[in-house]
This record gives sequence, C-alpha cells and structure tokens, in this order.
Amino acid sequence: MSKLNVPRRTLLLGSAALAMAPAAAFATSSPDIGKPAPSFSAIDSNGKTWSLADLKGKVVVLETTNHDCPYVRKHYNANNMQDQQREAAAKGVVWLTVASSATGEQGYVTAQQANDLTRSRNAAPAAVLLDPQSKVARAYGATVTPHMYIIDANGILVYKGGIDSIPSSSTADIPKATQYVRVALDQVLAGKPVAEASTRAYGCTLKYPKTSS
Amino acid sequence: MARFLAFLLVLMAGPVLALPAFAQASPAQSAVVTTENVRSELVSEVATVKAGEPFWVGLRQTIRPKWHTYWKNPGESGLPTEITWKLPDGARADPIVWPAPILFDIGGIINYGFKDESVLLVRITPPADLAGPLTLAAEANWLVCEDVCIPEEGKFELTLPSGTAATLAPPATRTLFEQARRAVPTASPWPARYGVSKAGDPTLLVEARGLKPDAISDIYFFPAEWGPVATMARQTATVTPEGIRIPLKKGDAKAALPAQLAGTLVLTEKTADGTVKQAFDVSATLDPAFVPAATASLANAVGAEQLSLVQALLFALLGGLILNLMPCVFPVLAMKAAAFARLAGHERSEMRRDGLAYTAGVLASFAAMAGVVIAIRSSVGEVNWGFQFQSPVFSLLIAYLFFVVGLNLSGVFEIGSRLAGVGQGLASRGGTTGAFFTGVLAVIVATPCTAPFMAAALGFALSQPAPATLAVLLAMGLGLALPYLALSMTPALQRLMPRPGPWMDRLRQFLAFPMYASAVWMIWVLTQQTGADGVLYALGGMILIGFAIWLLRLGSGATAGTWVRRGIAAAAVLLAFSATLKLDQSPATAASASGGSNAGVSFEGWERFSRARMAEAVAAGKPVFVDFTAAWCITCLVNERVALEVPAVRRAFEQAGVVKLKGDWTNRDAEITGVLKELGRAGVPLYLFWEPGADRPKILPQVLTESLILSELSSIQQAKR
Repeated sequence: MSKLNVPRRTLLLGSAALAMAPAAAFATSSPDIGKPAPSFSAIDSNGKTWSLADLKGKVVVLETTNHDCPYVRKHYNANNMQDQQREAAAKGVVWLTVASSATGEQGYVTAQQANDLTRSRNAAPAAVLLDPQSKVARAYGATVTPHMYIIDANGILVYKGGIDSIPSSSTADIPKATQYVRVALDQVLAGKPVAEASTRAYGCTLKYPKTSS
Repeated sequence: MARFLAFLLVLMAGPVLALPAFAQASPAQSAVVTTENVRSELVSEVATVKAGEPFWVGLRQTIRPKWHTYWKNPGESGLPTEITWKLPDGARADPIVWPAPILFDIGGIINYGFKDESVLLVRITPPADLAGPLTLAAEANWLVCEDVCIPEEGKFELTLPSGTAATLAPPATRTLFEQARRAVPTASPWPARYGVSKAGDPTLLVEARGLKPDAISDIYFFPAEWGPVATMARQTATVTPEGIRIPLKKGDAKAALPAQLAGTLVLTEKTADGTVKQAFDVSATLDPAFVPAATASLANAVGAEQLSLVQALLFALLGGLILNLMPCVFPVLAMKAAAFARLAGHERSEMRRDGLAYTAGVLASFAAMAGVVIAIRSSVGEVNWGFQFQSPVFSLLIAYLFFVVGLNLSGVFEIGSRLAGVGQGLASRGGTTGAFFTGVLAVIVATPCTAPFMAAALGFALSQPAPATLAVLLAMGLGLALPYLALSMTPALQRLMPRPGPWMDRLRQFLAFPMYASAVWMIWVLTQQTGADGVLYALGGMILIGFAIWLLRLGSGATAGTWVRRGIAAAAVLLAFSATLKLDQSPATAASASGGSNAGVSFEGWERFSRARMAEAVAAGKPVFVDFTAAWCITCLVNERVALEVPAVRRAFEQAGVVKLKGDWTNRDAEITGVLKELGRAGVPLYLFWEPGADRPKILPQVLTESLILSELSSIQQAKR
C-alpha cells in the first residue's frame, strides 16, 4: 500500500551501479512439498545457533510467531500450542518457534522478552529462534503468524500451512477443528505420507521489514 | 430532506401506513456498532416485510482510513467477514453476496478485501406464516488490518414490521442498496475456460473476442477460494483476439485443479467518456484440450524494475548525462565544443547566455518530444522509445542533416551563408540562436542511444500520466545539457579551456569526419528499413544537396543568373526531399517480412525470437538467452561485438546448450513491443536469461561484458553437475 514506494537509499547516494538492480521486495514463491526444505541458521533466545543441516535425522517443526497477534494468542491462551509442543518433544521432534517480526514491528522480541514469554505462557518449544530480519520466514515464504512447517528426518518439507482447520480468532473453535500439525506429525512419525500436506495458513500478516535493502 | 421525501412517498403509497412509518425514526436500520476501526450497521431495503417474500439487508461497514477488511477469499493472510444469523423458525438467510474486492499488497503479501466502505448484501426470506414483526439478529466477525490485524465483532438486531405488502425503505437507504448492487460483480457475458500447462500452472481464457487491447487495462483475476491459484504471483493478463488470457500460478492446495475455476475478473475499460471499472463473476471450465504453451511468464522477472517518480527522475538525469558520451551525440557535442572554444575570452555574460540558450534548446526539444509522445499516446495508446527511428523517412532526414553539418564543418560553405530554413544553418549560426539550435540538434541525434539507466526511466515515463512523462523527459534533457551548462557558468572551468587560435579551424574540419560517419551509419540503418533502394535515394539526395550548395556559393547579388541558380538549387533540394515520399512506398518492413535475408541485425547462430519459441524452449527445460536489438541501437551493437559474439562466449553458449533467440526491433514489431512493455521497458537493448527450468527470466544489465555473460553461464554449468 502506501508504504511500498519507499525511495531507496542506494539511489540517493547516487551509486549508479547499486541502483541498477533494486532488490525484489519479497520472494513470491514458497518451497514445495516433497522437496528439500530451505536451509537456515539462526540464533535462539539463549544464544545458541540452530541450523537445519545440524538437525538431519530429526523431525523438525517450525512455528512462526508474533505474540501480540490475536491468532497466536488464541492458540496460546487455550494451551493448544503448548500442548502440541510438549507432545512433539515427547516424540523426539524438534519444535522451533521462530519470532520473525522485523525489528520495531509488532511481535519483535529481544532474547529476554522471548524467554519471559516462554515462561509466562508455559511454552515448551525446543528453542525460540530470533529472526529480526525475517530471513527464516522469507526462506519459507511464510505469510502469517502462526505459519507451520514440518521437515522430516531427511530434511524434506512434508507439511506447510495452518495450525488447524478453522480460521477464526475464537478459542471455542479449537476443539472442533482438525489439528493439522498434530495429524501430520503422527503420519510422519509413522512413516506414512502426509495426507493434507498443504493447507491454508491463517493468522496475522507476517511483519516483514518495511524497506527492502 | 430525505425524511421529507420518504414522507411524500409514503403518502403516495397509502395513507393508512403513512403515520406509523413516519413516526419511526429509522425503521430500516439497526443500532450502529462502533468498534475501534469500523463503524457497522445492519440496513434493510424494506421498511415493512411481507410474509414469505424475500428482501435484502446489508451489513454496512465504514472502515478506518488505510485499514481494510477481507473478501470471501482473503488472499495470503486475513479472514473473510462472517455473519451468523439468529432468525425465527421458517426464516432463511442466504450467503453473503460480496462486492468486487480490491487488491492490497502488504510488503509483497497479497490480500483481497475492502477499504473505506463496504456493504455485504444478504437476502432474507421471512417465514411464510409470519404474523407480527420480524426480528433479525446477527452476529458478525471481521478482521480489520492495517499493519496489525484486529479481530472485531458486533451484534446487530433489526426489527421490521410486517404487512400485506412490503414497503421500501427511505430513498437514502435505497440509494445505498443501489450503490451496493453496482459494486457486486455481474455474471460474465462471455464463456470462460482454463487449461493447465505441463508444469501444472493454469491459464484462464475469458472468451471475450474482439476487445480492443488498448482500451482494456488493469486486468486481474481474483480466485474465489484459496488453493487452486497462487494469490501471491503477479498476474500479467493480455487481451488477445481469442479473448482475455491470464496466465496464473498453481496454488498450494494439493488437490487436483477443480472442474470449474471460479473467481472475479476485474478490468478497467477506456470509453469515450473516461474509464470505467468493471467486475465480472467468472466460472471457467477445465478444458483438457487447452494446454498453455508453458509457464514462460515474464511476470516477476528478476531485475524487472518498478520505479517511483523520484527514482525515475534521477535515472533520467543520469541517463541524460551519459548521453553526452554516446557516439551518436559526440559529433554534435564536438561541434558545440568548437563553438565554445571560439567564445573563450569573450564576456562572461555572453558565455552564460550561450550555455542557457543551449540548455533551452535541449529542454524545448525534450518538451516537444514529450508533447508528441503524449499526443500519440492519447490517440494511439502506445509509444516506444526510438520509435522515430523505425520510420525510414526520419532516418533519411537525419542522414541528410549529418551530411550537411559535415559539409559545413569541412568548410564547403561558410557559417552565416544564407541557408535559412535548413536546420543546420541555424545550428551553426553564431550567437544565442545558434546555441539554441545546437541543443535541438543534440536531442535529435541522441534519441537512438538508449543509454544505460535510461530504459527504465523511459519505460516509466511512457507509462505515466502526462505530467510525469514531461517531468522525466525534461530531467533527461537537463542531464544532457548539464556539462555544457556547468562549463558556461563556471569561470574556473573555462580557464582550463585552451586559447583560441588556428588549431580551431583544424579541429572543426576534423570534426566533419565523425559527422560523415554518422551519415553513413544512418544510411545503413535506412537500408535495414527499406532494402538496397534506400542507398540509392539517400546518396542521390546527398548529391542533389551538395549540388544545391555549390550553386548557391557561385555568387550572390540580385542578378538574373543568381535567381536562376537559386531556383535550380531549390528544385534540387526539393527533389532530394521527395525521396522521402518514395521511401514510404517501398517495402518498409523488408527486414522483418523477408525473414531477415537483408536484415542489418545478424541472425547467424541465433534463432528469430517469438514468444511461442521462447515458451517452447523454456518448457523443454533449456537455458534460453534472448537478445532484443535494433540496427539503429548502438548500445545493442556494441554489446554484441564486445560480449555476445566473442569466441569465448560463443563457445560457452554452445557448451551450455543455450537456445539463443534474437528479437529485431529495427522496424515496428508488435510482439516485441508487447514484451518490452510487460517488462516495463520502452526500448532496446534488453537481455533476458532463463536458467534451465526457471519459471521467470533474469534481466541482464544494458551494458554487457564478456565476464558477465560467462559468469551467468558458469552458474548453470555448476548447477548441472
């Protein structure tokens, strides 16, 4: 909308060579199911570096988050997200919550804030990755929070989409909805193909950095 | 006023009903629900209902400026507004009838929805045995977003009295419903079908035959539901003789594409009285026989530039500056330099006047060009840079001009000789007028040099409203004039200029040769446009012009002999110019029609570009390089010499199995013009590179180097391993 035509600083510097190739604002493609999942490397709220390459042999869940988003709150207030994180951990799945809001945007958290949120919400992810430049989100073409991804032990993307089947902000809908991620994880761990591998993710628009640089 | 009209209407409808209806403050509206970002109310089109007779209500929402709510398919994020009804037994509410949505691009994430105000229409059928008032209760949920999203909700209740006949709501309310209905898409008057490419991407074809491509713009297909079609992909619809064709990207849903692909088609039509936005509900049938060529979509080309006005102005200024160094402007500039050296040592004010006059000449020409572009565009609808050079008449006249300027520099005739009416005469005349026309001349010869940086700015200029077109072209003119203007304004720089002396005459005579060379080049361009005959007319015309100049130099005065000579000279010049008439009758598109046998653009080792061929090669998973070029484009020719046709690059192309396509834009070519336009370019050169299996091309810079091409090719070689 109105924010799209931000004059690029590179141009004002008069750097002609740089100005020749303005960066695309957003990669419009999301990775395909059945293909190797995009690699990433990010630091978590305790300073540990996580990269997908190191997680070979484990099933990985990615959950984009923005703690102020009403849809994220829906699943945390009802303990749905925390329950699924615990179930996953019990089955040896690595659940990574990714705070992908850009610096200054709604949902941006410092390491301290991320840890406080984990404590106050009694959440149980393997780690909260800090992604203030939305690099992980961009690599996966995430559009909303929460946007969910499952990567199997061979590093193949096997699920992308919503947390469940009823797009609403009401916690009352959670018991009625199909919990896509839970169902898909069971199938992956049982060595079966995921029946619904791509669903519509619903939630708040992911808060990418405003300027493309 | 509205109430008074309602009163009158009710009086006419029947005196019995009049008083109660009038007494109720607002019988057809619920209480207003005001949430943080939206003001909502439930409105009825009728004041009283009749048992069993359907009527319409609307959820009217006034949305906070810059915020938006969502359509039935909200796009990549967001949620559609929902209404849950609580109705008495036997009553029924149909699904929401949605107005046509608009597109929101939030940092690249595409949403479909509404801003400012929306009315969601719902048809209500009261119970057949309704007695007494009908109470409609509704709970609505909506998501309203700007940068952040807030789910909001409201409860509405509307009680309508019943009667033996339904009566309408006040006129203001009815107007609201009329407007709401106009915002709803109408059923498509044309059949539609869609096909799926081998890569799985659907292409929609709305069979609206005979539309005028120029009159239709801003075409967009809003898919009715999430899944079959990727809402994130940019759409580039084209109006073809078969109808409106919209290549789409397949969506993320795993399910096979549906038998019917439904959605809303929005477009803007230019009519005699302005533009009209139209929306149609389309349901396209899957046609297995229709297999779109490939996903060779130019949309989302990597490196395609979308500029803001400020950027375009900067690019234009830079482009104008660089024009000074281009080979086609150089002779004119050299001439200017000679004139300047002559001025050295003169009064500073004179210098300044000279610089200003030159700048004025340049700007006036660019303004005139902008005027022509705007005029042509408003009548024809499309203009391209370098279009002048697609006209053989223009090429011939420029060749003559170069020739005459060259003769002047050689000293065949002197400055100030009376050749009024001939442009070069004015340009070589001393003083302010001369400086002005030198500026004009510089612009005329500068146009074929689409210098780097200029293409994007020009593409922008030509696609913008008139004021922006003018601004961009003037910025470019300023860039062209800037070096000389700066020189004339700055005594410090002037001191660096050499002193005048006999060297000046020698320099002037020397400068004639680049002029002759330019004339030769123009004639060569002419032959590409007209075939070998062009040489005959051009060189013949030059002899006539030379003859005329010789006659005029034989003597002056009012003797009878002088007048005869002048008459003959005028006839010779006329004859030379009459060649232009002949040119238009000759096969002007020889190069493109004859398959390139005499094309100045060499096709050796290259295939002729066509969209179909490109799509085919891309679909086959081959790397494809496309070179859009023209005989009159110097940058193109230089790129070919230094980067594309050097042995190392040729070999690398061959080893990588690259399909090399060349599009020749020397003459008008609608297909190439279309491609340029799609990529936001107004002219050549343009280089596209499709990596194997890529669904979009990469746009390479306008100035190519050998190493650049080789590194592009080596990246695909590595990918192969």
